Amino acid sequence: MSSHYEAPIRRPLIDGDKSYHDISVDVAAPVEGKAIKLWWIAFSIALTAFLWGIGCIVYTIGTGIGVWGLNKTVGWAWDITNFVWWVGIGHAGTLISAVLLLFRQKWRMGINRSAEAMTIFSVIQAGLFPVIHMGRVWNAHFVLPLPNQFGTLWTNFNSPLLWDVFAISTYLSVSLVFWWTGLLPDFAMLRDRAIRPFQKKIYGLLSFGWTGRAKDWQRFEEVSLVLAGLATPLVLSVHTIVSFDFATSVIPGWHTTIFPPYFVAGAVFSGFAMVNTLLIIMRKVSNLEAYITEQHIELMNIVIMITGSIVGCAYITELFIAWYSGVEYEQYAFLNRATGPYWWAYLFMMSCNVFSPQFMWFKRLRTSITFSFIISIVVNIGMWFERFVIIVTSLHRDYLPSSWTMFSPTFVDIGIFIGTIGFFFVLFLLYARTFPVIAQAEVKSILKASGEKYKKLRDGNHE
Amino acid sequence: MASNKKYWKSVEELNENSAIVDTLKHNEFPEEIPMDMFLGDKKTLEASSTTRRDFLKYVGFTTAAVTLASCEGPVVKSIPYIIKPNDIIPGVAEYYATTIADGFDFANVLVKVREGRPIKIEPNKEANGATNARVQASVLSLYDSLRLKGPKANGAEISWNEADQQIIAKLNEVKAAGLPIAVLTGTSASPSTKKLIAKLNETFENVAHVEYDAVSESAALDAFELMYSTRALPDYNLEKAEVIVSIGADFLGNWQGGGFESRYSKGRIPTNGKMSRHIQFESNMSLSGANADKRIMVKPSEQNQTLIKLYQAVVNGVVPTEATPLNVAIQNAAAQLKTAGSKGVVLTGIQDKNAQILALAINKALNSEVLEVSTTKNIRKGNDADVAQLITDMNEGKIGAVIIYNSNPVYTLPNASAFVEGLKKVKLSVAFSMQDNETANAVQYTLATPHYLESWGDVEIKKGQYSLIQPTIKTLFNTRQFQDSLLAWTGSTATYYDFLKETWNVEILGGKSWNQALHDGVFTSDAAQSGAISLEVDVETAATELEAVKGSDLELELYVKIGLGDGQMANNPWLQEFPDPITRTSWDNYLTMSKADAVALGAVNNYVANGALNGSLVELTVNGVSEILPVFIQPGQAKGSLGLALGYGRKQGMKAEMQTGKNAYKFYKDFNNFQPNVTLKLAAGEHEFACVQLQNTLMGRGDIIKETTLETYNDTSIDPKHTWNKSPKVSLDHKEVEASSVDLWESFDRTVGHHFNLSIDLNTCTGCGACVIACHAENNVPVVGKDEIRRSRDMHWLRIDRYYSHEENFAGDNEVKDNGKGAMGFKKAMDALEDPSENPSVSFQPVMCQHCNHAPCETVCPVAATSHGRQGQNQMAYNRCVGTRYCANNCPYKVRRFNWFEYPNNSKFDYNMNDDLGKMVLNPDVVVRSRGVMEKCSMCIQMTQATILKAKEEGRPVNTNEFETACSNACSAGAMVFGDINKQEDTVKSLAEDKRAYHLLEFIGTKPNVVYHVKVRNIQEA
Repeated sequence: MSSHYEAPIRRPLIDGDKSYHDISVDVAAPVEGKAIKLWWIAFSIALTAFLWGIGCIVYTIGTGIGVWGLNKTVGWAWDITNFVWWVGIGHAGTLISAVLLLFRQKWRMGINRSAEAMTIFSVIQAGLFPVIHMGRVWNAHFVLPLPNQFGTLWTNFNSPLLWDVFAISTYLSVSLVFWWTGLLPDFAMLRDRAIRPFQKKIYGLLSFGWTGRAKDWQRFEEVSLVLAGLATPLVLSVHTIVSFDFATSVIPGWHTTIFPPYFVAGAVFSGFAMVNTLLIIMRKVSNLEAYITEQHIELMNIVIMITGSIVGCAYITELFIAWYSGVEYEQYAFLNRATGPYWWAYLFMMSCNVFSPQFMWFKRLRTSITFSFIISIVVNIGMWFERFVIIVTSLHRDYLPSSWTMFSPTFVDIGIFIGTIGFFFVLFLLYARTFPVIAQAEVKSILKASGEKYKKLRDGNHE
Repeated sequence: MASNKKYWKSVEELNENSAIVDTLKHNEFPEEIPMDMFLGDKKTLEASSTTRRDFLKYVGFTTAAVTLASCEGPVVKSIPYIIKPNDIIPGVAEYYATTIADGFDFANVLVKVREGRPIKIEPNKEANGATNARVQASVLSLYDSLRLKGPKANGAEISWNEADQQIIAKLNEVKAAGLPIAVLTGTSASPSTKKLIAKLNETFENVAHVEYDAVSESAALDAFELMYSTRALPDYNLEKAEVIVSIGADFLGNWQGGGFESRYSKGRIPTNGKMSRHIQFESNMSLSGANADKRIMVKPSEQNQTLIKLYQAVVNGVVPTEATPLNVAIQNAAAQLKTAGSKGVVLTGIQDKNAQILALAINKALNSEVLEVSTTKNIRKGNDADVAQLITDMNEGKIGAVIIYNSNPVYTLPNASAFVEGLKKVKLSVAFSMQDNETANAVQYTLATPHYLESWGDVEIKKGQYSLIQPTIKTLFNTRQFQDSLLAWTGSTATYYDFLKETWNVEILGGKSWNQALHDGVFTSDAAQSGAISLEVDVETAATELEAVKGSDLELELYVKIGLGDGQMANNPWLQEFPDPITRTSWDNYLTMSKADAVALGAVNNYVANGALNGSLVELTVNGVSEILPVFIQPGQAKGSLGLALGYGRKQGMKAEMQTGKNAYKFYKDFNNFQPNVTLKLAAGEHEFACVQLQNTLMGRGDIIKETTLETYNDTSIDPKHTWNKSPKVSLDHKEVEASSVDLWESFDRTVGHHFNLSIDLNTCTGCGACVIACHAENNVPVVGKDEIRRSRDMHWLRIDRYYSHEENFAGDNEVKDNGKGAMGFKKAMDALEDPSENPSVSFQPVMCQHCNHAPCETVCPVAATSHGRQGQNQMAYNRCVGTRYCANNCPYKVRRFNWFEYPNNSKFDYNMNDDLGKMVLNPDVVVRSRGVMEKCSMCIQMTQATILKAKEEGRPVNTNEFETACSNACSAGAMVFGDINKQEDTVKSLAEDKRAYHLLEFIGTKPNVVYHVKVRNIQEA
């Protein structure tokens, strides 16, 4: 039992009197049981939003990008804001499962499955925008380096937008593989418990014939580690490359070397907030409070607080550098950002992203589930505004004052954004009903070390 | 006849009873087919690679393939030349010299014709032709789908023969009744038309020719007649002028027919330490005022006093007693005029005979060389008194017939209703019109006339300088020229062409070749020019009379816009979308008002969420005539004055989208653009403007438009590179170096082949916008309409930015910015700089794609749709573009334009690209862009390549200055010069190395191929 030893000072990661079997039952319950009314309501709303979004996308593609609020000066607004926002949200999953795995952080086990699911679903949303924001979507394959009859007609490898294509697709595929690998033993568990043959067949297929032999487990561990190693640089690279879209340009407010770390911190920040949003609801609805404990929420709140502060530092640094550069265009860009016509967006960004996470210094607040939920929503609103501020306020007043103008979204801009939120929740809600939402195999591995019951037993022995 | 031939298959058949033949006859397959063996052998069957499923696949595929192959491919309707016309080579443009003379614009032009279609108007430079925006756009009016397509009688279609018979019968009735026939025309300045009207007089007797200009210059004509005995306009050679004082004369706009900018601009380039000084006294902010070195805001009524004081100061040496700022300015102007002596000139736009007399008298006193009284211009002939008399006579039933040509009086007359009433009282009313306009609908006979590009004709623009009008396309509709009609009615069987040719051969050419004249488009007569006879006029009385003109607290000055002119081309979408050079607002006219007056009235201009401009509505009442109009707060508008453009508010024969603005002619009482006694009342609601420039000031960014004064420029002791034309510096290895010397990229040898540069002189650019329309026409730029302009989605590849200063001048703005120390100071300075001054200094800057050698757009395009050409051009491959708009975002000059919608063939954009007729204007050398792609200035690559090919075909190197772009070609001020900097002799080469040359936003390191020249202002007083 020595390997299971954990310092008594550490709080248990699994609350209550849980046995291995209890874990199986608890995790399988949402899958095996019937959907509650709340699920159906949420699903209907999400589906409606999704369909509305599809309608807006079809309208855009059928009529032209002109149905959005963009203009000659502001060529990107909600489209790329949403893209960066969703990619940012997609950061938490890989960070939790890969980076925390490498650092042997066991608390990740309760949340990694859902965090990764969230990653994949949000990257899907993110991936939509670079495609539909194209004026000629039907030629979207031009951005892929496909061999063609023109011989030398190739993509432009100088373009950060092309790097995006690679970064996002790599991230999505690695995340998906990583997620699925972790899912194998859990799908197998569901398969083994399934009574109905159809269910058994499906989970059998999904588990890729997992048998639970020692060899399976050994390979599972190895693959997880290798994938974690692969995914870790991706956590940094994806948002770095997304930030290059702006950082490599010549527009004041975009042309900033601080962007890569600043964007990565911001992404982790928003990703953790989204994980909190989702899990605080899910632990309640799916009765998983024993596995996603107050401590999990607290730890995530600490990450939010730290990344939020990093982001805050970045905001201040930007302002400082603008002043220090002595470049009037740069100075004006930031003056305009903070005090120009979009001052309210900047204020939203500052108060949501820099100010609100500071509450997490207080233990009472960061352990309050309701408060954490509110902050998680606030942070995501703030992070959306951050991207909007960066994109729109930099573009709308750049070098030549003659071209200065404003941006205002149309119902289509808003509709597509709401549509992606709907799509995301459609996927997530389906996931919550059909997937093992907790990595039960992993959780079981720490039951004896970090389970409340066993901890008590052990601590009692010592006394 | 059916054939009974028998074909033998073998020798065996000779034998009639051959068993073999018999067997074969009954048995098709002589050998047994091993069907059972094959099908029975399961093993072989299974070994076969073609399974039943495969078979079905093949069947499926072939069926589908055959079905697809049988589908009809897209049908492209094209008609080949069975017999090719001799002079048309597909793909090669033909140029014809002709002349526009529509009563408002007169210019010698070249018409570019492709495959029989006129597609572009260019200035006929050999004939000193200059084109403005309207002349450039006139080609589109040819393809106006709402043109009159045939003759009509009382609204019903009629044949020309019937119309002729009926009209001749009625004319004879009138003749019998002894009533006069009035021929009401716009200024035609056509010798042969004049002859034809005389001929009409011979036939029907009592024919009176009344000439009428919608926008009157009658006062100037009357004054000149009084002083020089000819009813014409003098010419002003502004190239010779050292001091130009203009009192309300927008001579860079449409004053006295315009066309002064080319000679004005020549005097604006500082050479040998000298450039002209231009002082403008005016109430509305005009193009001339915007270009002036000094601009003084003066209400219309005070302009009279200003002119009198100037006269007194220059001629009589009287110094005004009070030292008001205006008096000081007048004194200074007078002093400078006196110093300049014969190199000084005074121009005035005051529509008062006495004012015009005073101005001429000052010029006479100065012995001005600028004023040319012997070579008079015939481009304005209208006589207000005659027109007023005609209307009175018509209403009194004294007129038998009215024949209207080249004029739309029912729209343009201030008392149009009286005219319409009068029309009802005449026996015969005929209107010759190209459009189904107001007048066409108010007369009995509407006779469709061709566009000038389908017509023959002649014009004597200037005394002794004759121009020819020749058709460049067969008439598109069942139209007939006015002159042909006159010929028909006077019983002649000749065509106008015959008549014209005969007139010219007999009266004008003096034995010279008709063909040569037609080829040149112009003919200058050697006939002895009679000198002007100078008459004595009582100037003092004129001054006293002028002084008596009463003003009021609020006065209205009507003006004419650069875009729409007198309004006859209001159905031209290019002109409607053309942003006014001053207000940068399109698709509208509005009441311009000073900020102080607007505040007092409570009228506001505000920006809505998407940046678009809105304005309060007011009710304007002048002499009992009222109209609800939007307010446009205009910096530089004299307090107590209002401006309103004529030419808008036309309704008939117009597409719904084009029916913009309000008709201001109803305020044009007595043909006077100055109307006192104005009352204003705030009205409910807001008006939506389509303004393309929403930030009016330069925000202290003096490196965008560099300026200096003539004094500093002339000071040879200072190095421009460190003072007035500072080159930006960056730090490289902790050393300050010139920004242009630092390079992220590997250098590329650009000395081989052509390397194009475009030079733009900010000193000579008047902002007239002819280049904007030329670019529109050359590059098939779509028109997007008012709503899209409001969404900041104009498609112009070339725009002319207009900036106002916040302080008195832009140098002051830079100071304000530099003095804004600390965050709060900077914020305060920037907030302040957003507002233009009450009377700002104005700068124009044409901006198009800068064709950066290190283009930020090129690196960011993921599909490499925009890349650099060998000749310096930044090129767009439309087919490759997927429309990410990244390039537009990363363009520091914001010159890239995105196709937000499908503009051609889209009923939502019902402009010229939505009908077959309108599409005839498209340039076949330039592709029409589809929705979703980015477009921008190509530096007219189709033109440069054509020039190269032409030289190659002719086996010669490209000539000096042979390269041109549409904009440089259209620029009559000579501000835009295009050429090859690898060619030493090209003008652009020396311009690019001039000490005034700089690149826009040079510090970014984009290395543009467009060069600007520092604006030099002659601000020295006295």
